[in-house]
Amino acid sequence: MMMNSNSQSAPLLKEAAVKAGVSSTTTRKHFGLIEKAKDFMFAVPALIFLAVFLYYPLLNSVYISFTNWNMTKPVKKFVGADNYVKLFKNEDLYQSLKVTLHYTLLDVVLTLTIGLLLALLFNVFRSKMYAVMRGIIFMPHYISMVIAAMVFTWIYNGQYGLLNRVTELMGFEPIQWLTNPSTALPALVAVSVWKGVGFAMMLFISGMRGIPNEYYEAAAIDGASGFSRFRYITLPLLSPMTLFLVITTFISSMQVFQSIDIMTNGGPLQATNAIVYWIYTMAFTEFKTGRASALVMILFVIILVLTIIQWVVSRKQVHYEG
Amino acid sequence: MKTIKWLNPMLAIILTLMLAACGGNTNTAGNADASGKGNNSAAAVADSGLKDDTTPVTIQYWHAHGDAQIEGLNKMVEAFQAKYPHITVEPVFQGGYDDLHKKLQAAVAAGDVPAVTNVEVASLPNFADSGVFADLTPWINRDGVDTNDFAKGMLQAYAYNGKQFGFPLIVSTSVFVYNKTLLDQLGVEPPQTWDEIEAFNEKVTERKDGKTTRYAFSVPGWDTWYYDPWLINGGGQILNAESKAAVDTPESLRYIQNFQKWIKEGSMHMGYGKGASDNMRQMFLGGQIAMVQHTSAMLKTYRENASFEVGVSFLPGDQTRTSNIGGAGIVIMDGASDLEKEAAWKFVQFMTAAENNIGWAESVGYLPTRKSALETEEGKAYFQRWPQYKAVFDNFDNVTPRLQHPAYPEFSSEYKEVIGEMILNQADPAQLMPDAAKKMNEILEDYE
Repeated sequence: MMMNSNSQSAPLLKEAAVKAGVSSTTTRKHFGLIEKAKDFMFAVPALIFLAVFLYYPLLNSVYISFTNWNMTKPVKKFVGADNYVKLFKNEDLYQSLKVTLHYTLLDVVLTLTIGLLLALLFNVFRSKMYAVMRGIIFMPHYISMVIAAMVFTWIYNGQYGLLNRVTELMGFEPIQWLTNPSTALPALVAVSVWKGVGFAMMLFISGMRGIPNEYYEAAAIDGASGFSRFRYITLPLLSPMTLFLVITTFISSMQVFQSIDIMTNGGPLQATNAIVYWIYTMAFTEFKTGRASALVMILFVIILVLTIIQWVVSRKQVHYEG
Repeated sequence: MKTIKWLNPMLAIILTLMLAACGGNTNTAGNADASGKGNNSAAAVADSGLKDDTTPVTIQYWHAHGDAQIEGLNKMVEAFQAKYPHITVEPVFQGGYDDLHKKLQAAVAAGDVPAVTNVEVASLPNFADSGVFADLTPWINRDGVDTNDFAKGMLQAYAYNGKQFGFPLIVSTSVFVYNKTLLDQLGVEPPQTWDEIEAFNEKVTERKDGKTTRYAFSVPGWDTWYYDPWLINGGGQILNAESKAAVDTPESLRYIQNFQKWIKEGSMHMGYGKGASDNMRQMFLGGQIAMVQHTSAMLKTYRENASFEVGVSFLPGDQTRTSNIGGAGIVIMDGASDLEKEAAWKFVQFMTAAENNIGWAESVGYLPTRKSALETEEGKAYFQRWPQYKAVFDNFDNVTPRLQHPAYPEFSSEYKEVIGEMILNQADPAQLMPDAAKKMNEILEDYE
């Protein structure tokens, strides 16, 4: 009986085992899915937030860039690539790009050069005096751009501004800094540089302090001059910091807005009509939301391409220590 | 298995949330459609029994009244609420006109609008074109408002495509403000026609070593509002009858060629760009300019800050004699509910009523808009306090609306730039204007 029952139950058992095996793998698979879903759940709150405030507006503005919407019209009429075509045919676009790139180039080069020179000057240990001076140079970084721009508007004023008082004492003719097309852009750059050098200096100093002293000692033994030590040790080993500063300064100056809004309104004669400010006037004073969105897309692509170029170039040029 | 139990409801919640988030857009579109329909139902609103309805209602009034005008506004709101105890008005300051307009745009896009708001006169066509404002005509007819009592040009400025979208509330116009003490000393009167300008320049301009130390007069270059009337007075047009740019015709160029000549001579001053307004004011108060064209709303400031007597003269004329309306009107948002709109209409009526007109105008420093108000005792007393405004009211019907076109804010910057080139780079405007006209026509293509 036992044998019999055994022999009879063997296939059953096998079947059961197979069944159990199958079900156990499905459970395991299922369990894995649940695990993944659970992991995903943790990201969901952030994703919802991003979806509502970033992805949806982003996609929607792509859509709006193909319409002639003005924010108040009840219907968004689809106009195809018309906005893009009209923008590329508009010479103001090239003027605006020229202004933006000109501003960016001046701003990045000046902020980094002056920041680096200041860093070399103020990278002194164990001196309260130098620490205080670093603090003073860094201070403009705390000041909001709106306030800085208003103060500089007063400084640059052609009639009673501080700057003209100083230049007059030195015997120069008064200059209408902000209403003269050739001085307005440099005047804006100066504000940005004034605000930015302290931050650049601090980062350069921290970068310099991260460079091991051994390199300098070795170079000194080999008889390297001060300049060669700077050229062959400091500069290459600062390159990650330089890259970081180039990219962040680049992006923020491509998007310069506040100082223009307060100091020049894009004028005189479009001399400071940088692209973000133009987007703003197009959308909110000319009521062309559709075309302004198209311009946003163009700016997005330009910044993306330029950033990729910087990144590719930097992979060859940036030295990471160790 | 336990985990699955909470997974499903959770997913359901997330999906619902996401759908709700996406659905937000369709909702606003729905609202916008509804407001579109609201346009047709305005007549129904006006006729319904809402006039005597006293259901408590709160309306928001979005405005651009600066600090100096707030006291006057608060008084009006208080008086209004005393008259209509069931209506509460919440005035909300939204910044200058530009900021106010941006917020209005956003409010319309979001489908959540105030009941009543200010709108700057040149931007009315753009909003009205999109059907954002309610047509006041049904209410005007229902309550028998005598619109002929408003100065004609001022009323017209807030009508568009044959519909009255608002009433003038704070009205200004550009005038010549002059240094009366100085001109009396020199024995000259401000020019009343273009022909008199050169003689005026000769007598008033002062030069030292070939450089001007005192300009005869100044016209602001930073805003087309100031020289559009010059263009028109010279016999020109901004747009012709076919809605094409006409700024480069010989008639339209007359004023600018005169300006160019007078600037070269050193008798006329023109400021351009940001901060130019400040400069001009300083130069006038400092005696470096004898007469400046500026908005009548600045008269109070000039009177308070000048160490000399200030006079006002209307712009000199030639083919015509006109000056454009500035400032803002009061309008009702079409997207508001019927009850709110009725309350808003009562507020609009109150704010622009003849009996409140002089007090309101004086408290905010803008011009009265009602003819009947000027005839009252109060009106006469007002003119005694502000004799300068007489020059404006002698030309009451010469104060005309600006060119009404949705693209005006955009295309006007094209010929403004020519003025800028002339002022800053000594360029010849007659050469640059055809190019500006071409660009204007390109902009206008979008509006055909």
